[in-house]
Amino acid sequence: MEKLKVRQICFYFMAMMPVAKLLVYPAALAFRAKNCLLFSSLLNSLLEGAVVALVMLLAKKTGKPLFVLLEQRAGKLWAKIAYGAFALYFFASALLPLLEQKNFVLQVLYENASTLLSFAPFFLLSFYACTKGASSMGRIADVALPVFALSFPVLILLALPHADFAALLPLSAVPAREIAKGSLFSANWYTDGAFLLFWLGHFEYEKGAAGKVLGAYAAGTFAVLLFLAVFYAVFADIALRQQNAVAQIAKYTTSFTSLGRVDYLFLFALALVMIFRMCIPVQMCVHCLRRTVGCKPLLPSAAVNLLLLALTVFFNYSFLEVQTLFTQKLWSVFALFAYLLPAAAALLALRRRRSP
Amino acid sequence: MNALDRSCKENERRIKDILTSEDILVFRFQTADGKACAAIYADGITDKALLGEQVARPLSSQEAPATAEEAATALRAPECKQVTDPQKAAEEILAGNTAVLIDGIPAALIAGLKKMSTRAIMEPPGSVAVKGPREGFIEDVKTNMSLVRNRLRTPKLQFKMLTAGRQSRTAVAVGYLEGIADEKTVKSILGRIAAIDIDGIPDSSYVAKFLSRRPASLFRSAGTTEKPDVLAARMLEGRVAVLVDGSPIALTLPYLLVEDLQGAQDYFASPLRATLSRVLRFCGVLLSVLLPAFYVAAQLFKLQILPLSFLLTISGNVQGIPLSPGLELFFLLLVLEILVEASVRMPKYVALALSVIGALILGDTAVKAGLVSSSAIIIMAISGIAAYTVPDLVGTTSVLRIVFVVAAGSIGTFGVTLLIALLLYYLTAAGDYGVPLLAPFAPLVGRDLKDSLFKAPLGDLGKRPAVFHTKNETRLGKREK
Amino acid sequence: MRTDKLWARVFLAAAAVLLLLFFSNDFGLIDIRETAIVVALGIDEAEEGEGYDVTAQIAVPANAGPGSAANVTAKGVRTVSEGIAELNQETGWYPTLVHCRLILLGEALTERNVFDVLGYFLRNEAVEDSCQVAVCAGTARETFGAGSPVNDISASAIIKVLSSEAQKTGLVSVTILKDFAVGYYSVSESGALPYITVKEEAESQGGSAAQAAALPSLVRNKRWRPVREPLPLAAPASAEGGESQGGKSGESKGGGAVFQASETMLFYRGKKAAILTPEETLAYNLAATDTDFAYGNVTAAQDGKEAVCSLQMKIGKKRRSLSFENGMPVFTFTIRAKARVADTDKAAPILNIAKTQIAEESVLRAAEQKFKEELASAAEKAARSGCDLFGIKQRLYRFRHKDYEAFRENILSAAELRYDIRFSGLK
Repeated sequence: MEKLKVRQICFYFMAMMPVAKLLVYPAALAFRAKNCLLFSSLLNSLLEGAVVALVMLLAKKTGKPLFVLLEQRAGKLWAKIAYGAFALYFFASALLPLLEQKNFVLQVLYENASTLLSFAPFFLLSFYACTKGASSMGRIADVALPVFALSFPVLILLALPHADFAALLPLSAVPAREIAKGSLFSANWYTDGAFLLFWLGHFEYEKGAAGKVLGAYAAGTFAVLLFLAVFYAVFADIALRQQNAVAQIAKYTTSFTSLGRVDYLFLFALALVMIFRMCIPVQMCVHCLRRTVGCKPLLPSAAVNLLLLALTVFFNYSFLEVQTLFTQKLWSVFALFAYLLPAAAALLALRRRRSP
Repeated sequence: MNALDRSCKENERRIKDILTSEDILVFRFQTADGKACAAIYADGITDKALLGEQVARPLSSQEAPATAEEAATALRAPECKQVTDPQKAAEEILAGNTAVLIDGIPAALIAGLKKMSTRAIMEPPGSVAVKGPREGFIEDVKTNMSLVRNRLRTPKLQFKMLTAGRQSRTAVAVGYLEGIADEKTVKSILGRIAAIDIDGIPDSSYVAKFLSRRPASLFRSAGTTEKPDVLAARMLEGRVAVLVDGSPIALTLPYLLVEDLQGAQDYFASPLRATLSRVLRFCGVLLSVLLPAFYVAAQLFKLQILPLSFLLTISGNVQGIPLSPGLELFFLLLVLEILVEASVRMPKYVALALSVIGALILGDTAVKAGLVSSSAIIIMAISGIAAYTVPDLVGTTSVLRIVFVVAAGSIGTFGVTLLIALLLYYLTAAGDYGVPLLAPFAPLVGRDLKDSLFKAPLGDLGKRPAVFHTKNETRLGKREK
Repeated sequence: MRTDKLWARVFLAAAAVLLLLFFSNDFGLIDIRETAIVVALGIDEAEEGEGYDVTAQIAVPANAGPGSAANVTAKGVRTVSEGIAELNQETGWYPTLVHCRLILLGEALTERNVFDVLGYFLRNEAVEDSCQVAVCAGTARETFGAGSPVNDISASAIIKVLSSEAQKTGLVSVTILKDFAVGYYSVSESGALPYITVKEEAESQGGSAAQAAALPSLVRNKRWRPVREPLPLAAPASAEGGESQGGKSGESKGGGAVFQASETMLFYRGKKAAILTPEETLAYNLAATDTDFAYGNVTAAQDGKEAVCSLQMKIGKKRRSLSFENGMPVFTFTIRAKARVADTDKAAPILNIAKTQIAEESVLRAAEQKFKEELASAAEKAARSGCDLFGIKQRLYRFRHKDYEAFRENILSAAELRYDIRFSGLK
């Protein structure tokens, strides 16, 4: 993996991290946590924020890649095993968003009986992206930020006239258990901390980088929370049926204007950022696989994308089942890889540095 | 082959053995003391008057010089050098110079008597300036170099002369400002030009292909200009110029995509106006590439994009059209390309008639005959016109819009979005000489944004673009407040 | 170099597939020429037997110039979805509902839960829940068959009546499907829809009933009743008047009807609960919706004589609040408005006319009283029928959640309503 810039990591957290949470996530959260969905989301963000902080601390102390750190600590074999496990995790974490994105594309970007054929070319793009290095990933983040900064606020502004923020009340109506459940069951949408762990050593720590990255993470989190608040304020009790949240919130302002659905213009722009974001877990999976197997990116890229395509075809009509499996059954696995393992890795590495 | 002899006759024979063509002439004369002299030159590209004035008259009016150095002094030619290799002498003759042979001197004196019939320096038709300098490059590399030097009268302006082309032996000048241009880039360019192994270089575009890492790319990898003022400005930013003999188009390297959006007159207008122009050019390119695609995608896959009243108008227009919306626009764009190709190549007096036939009669009749819809014609026209807001990118945009129409007609709006994503992945990874093509946007170079889509006032452009890795960053001195 | 060649091959293969798709043009897409653009949908109780009658108003554009619209009715279908599918089967046109801007419910349908039929629109991504919903007197099919005096197609005319401008002036209470659904699925389980009535008017000048009658019918089978009507973009000279072939006798023809939506139907648990009069609708709008500018008449003593004054009202502040006093709920309307006289029904000296726009105290107090009476009447109707028109129950749930369980069943009747309404004149 080539070098990334701290700025590009910041841009990733500000622009690409939020877009992964604008489709099914709000409705899934509303199903469990109802009007208290902000608390559930905040809980996840705090956990992931802690992981980000730890990883940045580690980056400050040692500029080495995770593989080297693991190799030094436990030997090459264990480093490879860890990378292999994370490759699997990234693969799994790419699947549900892929199906989400597929449904979004087929339901929102098409009006007629669209087929999977319309979505399949995505895998060609993803394959191409996987063969590119981290510098391409970083430059894509550079492109994503202005696109996001232009389109996201416009969609929010278009939604505001129809938002009734009183819908977020009462705060005491949902039991804390349900809020916690909402939080835990959405762990599969929080993989960004783990990404950062694998970018370790691929960016040069500069003065104040931790603050910048954490600030960017906070900004991204704010964007997600703002979106969730506006989303629930617009839809209130029918929020849980809005599967493609971002496509729904702005239409009420634009539907009856003479220009028609201008919100689509900004939606397409956001869809572009979503596509970039969708490629990241696949790229990370390929990166981990390459380190595990020790080969050029072409072969693992082709294999991973073909397998994802096959699974997308296989689960074409089973989104709900996959969602249930990933969110309600496998949430602990996702939480383990998203929060615990990165945090543990960072803590261990930091402890080792302190001890003589 | 052996070096030149002391015998004038023998030397003449040796050179004529190499240059057997009938237009290589020999002018024989004698010195005052009766020694034989010969001037060998290529007919048509040598100034015969100067030959008599600067070579024959001085030599014939005095005794024969004993050495080559004496001979060089005796000649009145300002450009004079000696060569001992008949092959080298032959090359000089082909370049328009004259080889002077004197009996008793084992060398040929090369007098710079080149006379090329060149066209006048005039405003290039491809980059007309409303305000600003109007002179443009011509086909003679020396003249072009002089035009650049006239604008950059600094000893730091360096020209490295190379030749390329096995048969054409074309002169290629690599110009740069020492201390401003990145040395690595200069070295790399010189290396790549030296490595060119091709029989002929008819134009600078041939050299551009050899200077690119991806010669087959849809996007070019060298900037071009026909204007010395633009070239000088780019060299001052840290770019390297490549001038090729026989081509009025200078290459500038490294190339940034954004430079095509910048016009020469932007620097003569107010920053606000320049920014507006650049944004309009950018929107023009986007419109040109994406409008036909979205028009097709909207009709085939997403009617909701179109406002109801507009949708009903389009719906009314397309009833009875035999082609599907995608094919309709695809063929219309092809017709547009054919019209453009034809109008460029045909004589001017026919071109006017053709544009009337093509644009008005053909379009109008096609709509009336129900072959194409009027809305598709409008879309094609907007796209075609919008492309010319950035003339340097016309070739790229015309291919891209057809590709986008195919993607839109097959996969719809998502296809268009995917293609944009693919293009961005490609462009972010592209770049040469360590300079990314999409800079200063990806990677983001904050300082360089001041003269990108946005044009800051000249006073704020105190530093040269960082993306070119220039050593001397300061462009603007301290100003009095 | 090898990688470059590989990529070239990959892209060539992709381009080949793309071109194949592009030129074959045969992979399930349905293009604009085969699409029926449904601009409005009407749903009625089935005339005969079980189920529903679904009427679609379809815009049919002509090749050049103005097009027309056709009403097509699918009778006796069990679900709306079945009706839409039948539209496709019977006409051969693929109906798209993305531009459907109006769902009109026949009055009879409101006797049962209207979400029996509206559920389809919430389930289906192809239908926008941003479309307006209204109830009409009689059947939707008849209403669509009525022609507008300004040569609009009926759906466009109704949409104009239900425009946001009309809402802002308090004449109608406009609701989009999403808001109606939010109300239904909230703790209130309530909502309000504009109630549309068709009023017969004199035929408009240039109305073209004769032309309409001469138009060819689009009937394809017995169940489908197409009617051609002009499109909203039609130029008056070439536009056609509407004609209903499926309506009952005596209904309007040739643009002789106007649509009124000044009444509002209240819903509780999806069923009709009550109907607000135009005055109550205006009071409701002034107190609880986006309306901030309205006209209304009051009778007051002016110069010692009773006179009817048309007032122009500008709402400055409106607030509804729920509080508890002695353990009992109190719901307060706080409204501050400015009013001026736009007209009276009595002749007056020139000096009075010069200062006529300054409303006298007596007029302002009369306006306050009138407003309070109408608001009280609307609130009482709502409370009696269980409809949480003013969001009292909603407020109880959101802002006084601890009292929610105690009052959830009877808050509407238990809450004491207070009116703090002040009108002031222009100085």
